[in-house]
Amino acid sequence: MSRNKNVFEKKKILIVDDSEINRALLSDMLSNEYEIVEAENGLEASAILHEQEQEISLMLLDIMMPVMDGFETLEVMNKNDWIKDIPVIMISAETVPAYIDRAYELGVQDYINRPFDEQTVRRRVVNTILLFSKQKELTHMVTNQIMEKENDNKLMIEILSNIVEFRNGESGLHVLHIRTLTEFFLKWLIEQGEYGLSQEDIYLICNASALHDIGKISIPTEVLNKPGRFTDEEYEIMKGHALEGARLLQDIPLRENEPLIQMGYQICRWHHERYDGRGYPDRLKGDEIPIAAQVVALADVYDALTSKRVYKAAYSHEKAVEMILNGECGVFNPVLMNCLRETSADLKEELARSEGQNFQEEALDAVEQMIESGEVEVSDRTFKLLEHERVKYKFFAELSQEIQFEYTVTPEMLILSEWGAKYLNMPETFLNPKTEAFATSVFAEDDFLHLLEKLENSTPDDPVIEEKYLLNINGHERWSKVIARSMWSSWEPPEFSGAIGKIVDIHDELEKMNHLQVMAAHDSLTGLLNHKTAKTQIEAILSRDTERKYVLIVFDLDHFKQANDTYGHLFGDEVLKYVADIMKRNTRSFDIICRMGGDEFLLFMPYKDEIEPLVKRIFLLLCGQYKEFLISVSMGVADAKECGGDYDSLFHMADKALYKVKRGGRNNYCFYKNELTGGDVQ
Amino acid sequence: MTVKECYEAIGADYEDVMGRLRKDERVQKFVLKLLDDKSYELLENSVASKDMSEAFRAAHTLKGVCQNLSLTPLFQSASELAERLRNAQDYDEDMEPLLEQVKKDYTHMIDCIRQLT
Repeated sequence: MSRNKNVFEKKKILIVDDSEINRALLSDMLSNEYEIVEAENGLEASAILHEQEQEISLMLLDIMMPVMDGFETLEVMNKNDWIKDIPVIMISAETVPAYIDRAYELGVQDYINRPFDEQTVRRRVVNTILLFSKQKELTHMVTNQIMEKENDNKLMIEILSNIVEFRNGESGLHVLHIRTLTEFFLKWLIEQGEYGLSQEDIYLICNASALHDIGKISIPTEVLNKPGRFTDEEYEIMKGHALEGARLLQDIPLRENEPLIQMGYQICRWHHERYDGRGYPDRLKGDEIPIAAQVVALADVYDALTSKRVYKAAYSHEKAVEMILNGECGVFNPVLMNCLRETSADLKEELARSEGQNFQEEALDAVEQMIESGEVEVSDRTFKLLEHERVKYKFFAELSQEIQFEYTVTPEMLILSEWGAKYLNMPETFLNPKTEAFATSVFAEDDFLHLLEKLENSTPDDPVIEEKYLLNINGHERWSKVIARSMWSSWEPPEFSGAIGKIVDIHDELEKMNHLQVMAAHDSLTGLLNHKTAKTQIEAILSRDTERKYVLIVFDLDHFKQANDTYGHLFGDEVLKYVADIMKRNTRSFDIICRMGGDEFLLFMPYKDEIEPLVKRIFLLLCGQYKEFLISVSMGVADAKECGGDYDSLFHMADKALYKVKRGGRNNYCFYKNELTGGDVQ
Repeated sequence: MTVKECYEAIGADYEDVMGRLRKDERVQKFVLKLLDDKSYELLENSVASKDMSEAFRAAHTLKGVCQNLSLTPLFQSASELAERLRNAQDYDEDMEPLLEQVKKDYTHMIDCIRQLT
C-alpha cells in the first residue's frame, strides 16, 4: 500500500541511464511512491534540470552514457549550483574505485551497487531525500531567524535612540537622517577605494550611528532643552555627552567585544572631534579619529544645519553645504570635503528619496547580502515564486506560437520552446549549439555566429537586439526577424551569460512590401512602367552615362478615340495591351518602356551608330491591325546626346517632334534635330 | 516454460534475482524486455566499425543489465569483454575469443527467453 495520501504530493525522481531496461527496473521499484522522470543521457538530464530544477527531489545517475556521461553531468550541475539543491545517487555498474571517488568529489551523496536490490534502492532513496529536505528546512529556519534577529536589533537601537531624542525635544527623524547620510558618504568612500571599507562595514557603522548621542541621556533636562545660548559651564556639561555615551556602551556587561558595541563606542566618543584637533573630548587630530566617527560627525553637522531647532531655523541644503565647506562648523577631513563637493546634488536627491522609507528594506538588504555570499540559502517562498513564473512563461510561450529560444554560455546550450521545437521538427535542447542543426541548417552559415556576436557586444543597459535573417524553416526560405535580449551575470563587471529571444516570420510582410513597390511602379493595365518610374530610371541613366547614346521615342495611337467610341472601352483596353505586348516582345531588358497614360507610350533605348533604322523598325512593328481596328502611330523622336543630360528637355524635344507629326497628318515619325526632319514612311 | 525453468536453462541465478526484485512477474517482465534491447546489436556494429569506445560502452551496458537480472553467464562474459575493451584504441585479435563467448552466451540466453513468450 502506498504511504502517500495524496498523489499530487509525490516527489519527483529523475533517473538518468542509457539502458531502457535499467531505467524501467528502477522506475518499477520506485513509481509507487514517487513520480519518475527519465533521461537517456546527461544532456537530456541537463535540459530537464534546467526546466524543473525545483521539482526534482533526487537524481539517480549512471556514469557510462553516450552524448554526455555522468561525470560531465555532475560538472554541469556544479557549474549551475544544482548540485546544492538536488541530491544525486550514483547507480553505475562501474566498480573501479577511482571512478567512485571522483563521483563523490563531484558532490554525489550516495552510491548504489549493482545488481539493484529493491529494498536497498528504496531505503537509500528515502534516506537521501529526507536528509536533504531536512537540511533545506534548517537553512530556511536559520534564514528566517537571522531576519528576525536583525529586525529586533535594529528595532532596539531605534527605540533607544528615540528615547534620547524625545528627551532632547527632537523628532526621531534625526537618527534616520544620520543613518542615510552616513551610508551615503560611506558608499562614496568605497567607490573611491578610500579607507578600505566594505559593504559589511557600512551596515555596521550605519547601525552604530544611531547610538551617537545616547550619552545625552545623562544630561540634565534643563541644560539639554535650554532655548537660549549656553553658558560656558552649561556648554561643558553638554560636551560631556560624548564621553558619557562611550562609557555607557563600555559598561554593558560581557558585551565589550561585540562589533556593534566597539563601533558605537568610537562613534559616541569621537563624533565631535575635528580634523585639525580642535574638537572634543580628546582633541584627536587627522586620521587619529576613526573614519566612522569622522563620517558621523559630518552627517551630524549637516543634519543639525538643515533641521529646525529651538534656537535656529533650518538652512537650505545649498547653504548648509556652503557653510561646512567654508569651515564654519569646524575642520573636516579633506577627503570628506571632496565627497560633499562632488556629491552635493546627488545627496539632496538621496535625502528626498529616503524620506519615509521603511527600515525593513535594509534588513532585507542585509539578508540578501548574506545570501549572495553563500551564508544562507534562498527561502522556499522564492522557489515557489520562481516556479510560478516558470509556469506563466511556459503558458504564454505556448500561446504565442513563436519559435522562442534560450541560449546559455555555461554549459553552452540552446533550448527551444516546446512549440518551436515541434514546429521545426527538432529536439528542444542542443549542446554545443554552434555546430548543431539549429545554427547550421535553420540559419545560414555565419548568421548564427553573427547573432551571437551581436548579443555579446550588447550591454546590460542596452541588451535588446533585432536582426533580419533569411532562415530555412522546414525547407522554405523565409525572411525572419530575430528579437533577442542578452543576459548578464549580477556581479561586477557583468559577464555575458546567455540570451533569450524569439524568431518572427516577416516573410509575407516583406513580400507584400515588395509587391506594393512593384505595383506602385507599374501601370496596372499593361504591366509597363508608369511615367514617374520611367522618368526616375532614365534620369539615373542620363547622369551615369555621359556618352548618352540613347534615343527617346514618344508615340500615341492614331484615332484611338474612335476605337473606344466604336467598339467600347474594353476593346480599347485590349488594343492598348496588344500594343504593349508588341513592345515587350521586341525590346531588350535594358530598354525602358512606359505607358504615360491614355494611348501615349514612351520608349527609351540605347543605339549604336544610327538612330533611324531602329526607329523605323519599331514604327513598322507597331503598324498593323488588332481585330477590326487598324493601328497606326505618330512618333516623336529625340537623341539624348542633345538634351544636355536633362530629362525634361529631352522629353520636351520628343514631344515637339510628335506634335509635328500630328500636324502633318499622323502615321509617321519625326526626329527632333535642331530643326525637325520627317521620316520617309508614308 | 516458467521463469525459473528459463533461468535454469540459461544457467542464470533465479534465487538471486528473486531475492532482489521480489516478484516473479517483475522478473519476467524485464527479462522479456531484453528481446528489444539494442545493446548487443550496438556492440556488434561498433566492433565491425572499429569504434572501440562505443563498443566498450555497449559491453558495459550489457554487463549492467545482466547483473541486475542475475543473468550470470552473459554478465561474466560481458564483464570480461568490457574490461578488455576499456581504454582500447584499436581492435586486437585477442578480443575475438571474448567476443565469441559473449555472442554464444547472448544467443543462448535469447533463445531461452523466446521460449518464455
